[in-house]
Amino acid sequence: MSDPALSYSLADFFFNDSPDVLTPPSDFQAWVGNPNVQSAMRFFGQQLLAAPRAGTEVLSSIDGSRRKVINMTSYNYLGLSSHPEVIQAAKDALDRYGLGASGAPLLSGTFDLHVEFARRVAEFKQKEDCLLYSSGLGGNVGAIQGLLRKGDMFVLDERCHKSLVDGGTLSGAKMLFFSHNDPASLEAMLEKCKGKRVLVAFEGVYSMDGDLVRLPEIMKVCAHYKAATYIDEAHSTLMFGPNGRGVAEHFGLEHEVGVSFGTLSKSFGGVGGFVCSNAAIIAYLKGYSSPWNFSCAPSPPVVAGAMKALEVATRDSRLRDTLWENVAYLKKGLLDLKLDLGQSESQVIPIIIGSSGEKLFQFAYEIQRRGLFLQPVDFPAVPANSRRFRISVSSQFTKEQMDTALTIIEDVIVKGLRA
Amino acid sequence: MTKEAVIEVIKKNIAANSDDIDAASIDAQKSMKDYGANSLDMIEVVSTSMRELKIKVPRSELTDINNIDQLADKFLEYLNKTNV
Repeated sequence: MSDPALSYSLADFFFNDSPDVLTPPSDFQAWVGNPNVQSAMRFFGQQLLAAPRAGTEVLSSIDGSRRKVINMTSYNYLGLSSHPEVIQAAKDALDRYGLGASGAPLLSGTFDLHVEFARRVAEFKQKEDCLLYSSGLGGNVGAIQGLLRKGDMFVLDERCHKSLVDGGTLSGAKMLFFSHNDPASLEAMLEKCKGKRVLVAFEGVYSMDGDLVRLPEIMKVCAHYKAATYIDEAHSTLMFGPNGRGVAEHFGLEHEVGVSFGTLSKSFGGVGGFVCSNAAIIAYLKGYSSPWNFSCAPSPPVVAGAMKALEVATRDSRLRDTLWENVAYLKKGLLDLKLDLGQSESQVIPIIIGSSGEKLFQFAYEIQRRGLFLQPVDFPAVPANSRRFRISVSSQFTKEQMDTALTIIEDVIVKGLRA
Repeated sequence: MTKEAVIEVIKKNIAANSDDIDAASIDAQKSMKDYGANSLDMIEVVSTSMRELKIKVPRSELTDINNIDQLADKFLEYLNKTNV
């Protein structure tokens, strides 16, 4: 019989019953100290010893050895974090501006670099203006917290990222979640919002499932209720649409969506976030979006690198074309193995294992031992009955790397699920 | 403890967590979602109810629960385990 400790997860210790705030819940210590729980936890926070390229090296926590791996976990979708032109641009900016901005944007943290990059991102996203944030999470939290107030309604797809939920909590608005990608459920929630200011949030590509927002249907419902709209394109910017502008462009609806959010940490290969919208609301947000106006401005070398990444990714379609070729190749290989890939329609491809946490971590161990860096995703990050591995496809993958990965996946997951 | 008493604890915590619902009007055959609770509210209601009942049910076992009645059954299962 399996250890009962394995049926518990981080979701079970959120509320702390300890009288002392600086002491974790009474049963948390025992749980994290349990050898079986520790065995599962060791997969998280492993150290990379080189850039997150398709081939990299990790300090493997399964046996403490340095291990060369095929990297299918980093979200370096277009390989831009280590692109030579991006690195050179960041180095040049480092020489000229130094490491940090040394100031909040309203005081001394705004450099010519920030102004130029924000202008280019706004133009790219077909919006009037743009705010740059030092963190992607901070961008979502800050935009929602800056836009909404107590008494307002915030309606989100139930699979939206934690940063949107945290922004909603901080804003004081009442939050309602609609069933994933379900226009009828959205309509039912908007019925409850009549007479109030309302913002509806959804994602271009959902990060754990890789499916796309049903944007035409969702926008139609929002238009009927005159609800403002917010799209999180963290996992779709630079990849979807004829010009790489994202899923809103893919559906031909970028001018209809009110706010477009993106990160600089995924396809851009850096770190940070941006929020694009009409110039008036961006000017307003500058006064009320705390992660923008109370935080140091983004690091100049990161901004310069991201600006070069935007240029490299949009001067032609080569990188995204290669990405989609890799997605097609890998997906076909996985489907030939009869694996459950959920509803994936993007470069995010889940391999759904099911409800067994033990199998998930047993597979994770063997996969890594064989030289594939493919991290397990456990409950509560995903539902308990659909624990999974999540492949982040990169344009950097070679056919040989994908073939090797498919062989490992077949040997470990396919055969393991049959056993 | 009876199932009715468990349901009363859950209803009380749903009402305490909402501005406009009173415990007496809650139907146990319905989901908390039907009363406008979002997933964060549900975590709060489940946590406060478990604390009051002095039980700890893994969240992973709540995935397939669809209404208040089923939640009470699950709580009762753990209450009986505790009492053995």
